[in-house]
Amino acid sequence: MAATVQKIPAEERLFSLVLALLATDGGLTKREILSTVQGYRQRYKAAGHNASLERQFERDKDDLRELGIPLETIDSPGDPGNNQNLRYLIPRGSYELPADIRFTPQETTLLGLAALVWREGSLSADARRALLKLRSLGITATEPLLGYAPRLSLRDAAFTPLNAALEKHVLVGFEYLKPGETAARARLVAPLALFQHQGRWHLFAEEPDSKLTKTFLLRRIVSAVTVTSTAFPAPPPGQGERAIAELDTVWNANLATVEVEAGSDAAARLGTRRGSTVTANGDLELHYADANILADELAGFGPEIAVISPSALRDAVIARLQRTAADHG
Amino acid sequence: MAEPKAPKLAGDKLAFLLSLVPYLMDQGRVTVAEAAAHFGVPQEQLREAVRLISVSGIPGETATYQHGDLFDIAWDDFEVRDEIVLTHNVAIDESPRFSGREAAALIAGLNYLAALPEHADTAAGSALMSKLARGASASPTQLAVEVSQTNATLALIRESVAAGVQLEFDYLNARGGRETRRVDPLRIDAVDADWYLRGWCHSREALRTFRLDHISNATVTTDAIVRRADDVLLSDRLFEASSDDLVVTIEVAPGALPLLAEYEPELVAPSLPAPSPTEPTEPTSRVRVIVRVSHFHGLKRLAASMNGTVTVLSPPQARQTVKDWADAALSRYTVL
Repeated sequence: MAATVQKIPAEERLFSLVLALLATDGGLTKREILSTVQGYRQRYKAAGHNASLERQFERDKDDLRELGIPLETIDSPGDPGNNQNLRYLIPRGSYELPADIRFTPQETTLLGLAALVWREGSLSADARRALLKLRSLGITATEPLLGYAPRLSLRDAAFTPLNAALEKHVLVGFEYLKPGETAARARLVAPLALFQHQGRWHLFAEEPDSKLTKTFLLRRIVSAVTVTSTAFPAPPPGQGERAIAELDTVWNANLATVEVEAGSDAAARLGTRRGSTVTANGDLELHYADANILADELAGFGPEIAVISPSALRDAVIARLQRTAADHG
Repeated sequence: MAEPKAPKLAGDKLAFLLSLVPYLMDQGRVTVAEAAAHFGVPQEQLREAVRLISVSGIPGETATYQHGDLFDIAWDDFEVRDEIVLTHNVAIDESPRFSGREAAALIAGLNYLAALPEHADTAAGSALMSKLARGASASPTQLAVEVSQTNATLALIRESVAAGVQLEFDYLNARGGRETRRVDPLRIDAVDADWYLRGWCHSREALRTFRLDHISNATVTTDAIVRRADDVLLSDRLFEASSDDLVVTIEVAPGALPLLAEYEPELVAPSLPAPSPTEPTEPTSRVRVIVRVSHFHGLKRLAASMNGTVTVLSPPQARQTVKDWADAALSRYTVL
């Protein structure tokens, strides 16, 4: 690295790259880009190796795609397959927001609040950039939607790598501790959707060999997530909705009957839950998707509740309470 | 697994530049103050971006960035009057599309908020979502969020927040008692599936956080609120720390630590080696943390619902509170 090379900030190089690729009709070869575009040309050696500059260009392409900037390549007609003659460009039609997509001040207000929901987690950068693009349109929100501070907490470490894999359509690997089991097992699956159901984040995925779909609770992924480079075909849209519908089917089929102390915290929380009903003798009927998860939750309510049925749930709650009592004895 | 920081930052700056140019083109003339306020950035950051835009452009036919290949601004207006006028544009005509992930984040956020009174028009909501999807450069990533469940109380609270009047309601407190509260409602918070009212409680003379599902018989009064949201500092932390807080030491399985984030746990013991990913189930290497709570009642619920992963160590009263809670629950079953 020559110490005399003029330092151009990364954003200036990226901005110049986008401008050059938007302005070209026929595309630019890598050599043209490296030798003429601001930020590259200062480091380009006309005779000699440009390996580090080429790696820089590869990283910059990733950065542009990361931002959703459509970067396309055209094969040279006379010399197909030759990387050196590939031409790069950003097609205007795929880059620009279509002219019929504009937002009213009311919509802008709502979108501002929708972005705020993600302020805590890994989607905050995406939401923040979406707002920048929205503001680019120059619409002023009607009145700031004061008085709300909603957020999704996204505390599961697995969320970020899974979301990245979801976008790239590549297989992921992780260790999963199935509710009710004591040992985690290694899984390798094709991620189809991330979805939130009853306040918990889930991964909807397909096993590559069996083609069976499975639902995983993010908080039970007990290892780091490995994002592989094995790609699979992009699934049709609506996978998240499909996963929620499937889980709802399970949820509908499972019914627990619980005696609840009137006026208690348990009565307030469980009684207002979707699908909860009160039986003739005052007991509460609750739907659930997973007995082990419900057992954890019910154990937390202590003496405010007692499980009547099913008996497996009752036993699971008793076992948990015995463990808590023993651990604190 | 720390991600490289610089490229991300450069990416954010690039998104800002690409968003700023079409805005400036549309505005014709705009003050730095106005543009900075519109984008919610410091004025100096906006000036820096304008300076960078003004020297940027395309290589052009000569591949040497001649004057006509660069953006230009009215320099006198910029330097003397702090106003921005783009006098020459290059390459950019329109605002950029959303990325698939950006569109997905906004769509899922809208879904989550679909229960808000402001959202009553669901047809408008779904039209907005489809506009976002069409305005993305790739199909939105498959991210789905359930509509957050709320009840009629939310609309009443919203009404009183908007009108700036006091609210009176019956409240079920953490100890299981019921009492009437009169509150200056300041903000409605939601964390995942749970909704809260933040307000100045007249009965307690302090800021308090109320669970929406513990509020009943809410009445919107005609009395104006005494404290406004601007007067008090509402943090993102739902339960404000106080000097009378009790310090409790608990032992946690490392994987469960993020689930306690709301308690802001502080590590006390030097953490033992991280658990091997192959045997994460009954981790022997637990971490010891302290949490600050105003009473032990929330903790007993937490420890009982996370049995096996959370154990309260000290003080003895805290431990006893958990034990009593579990014992009382067990006495409801004839298995003792």
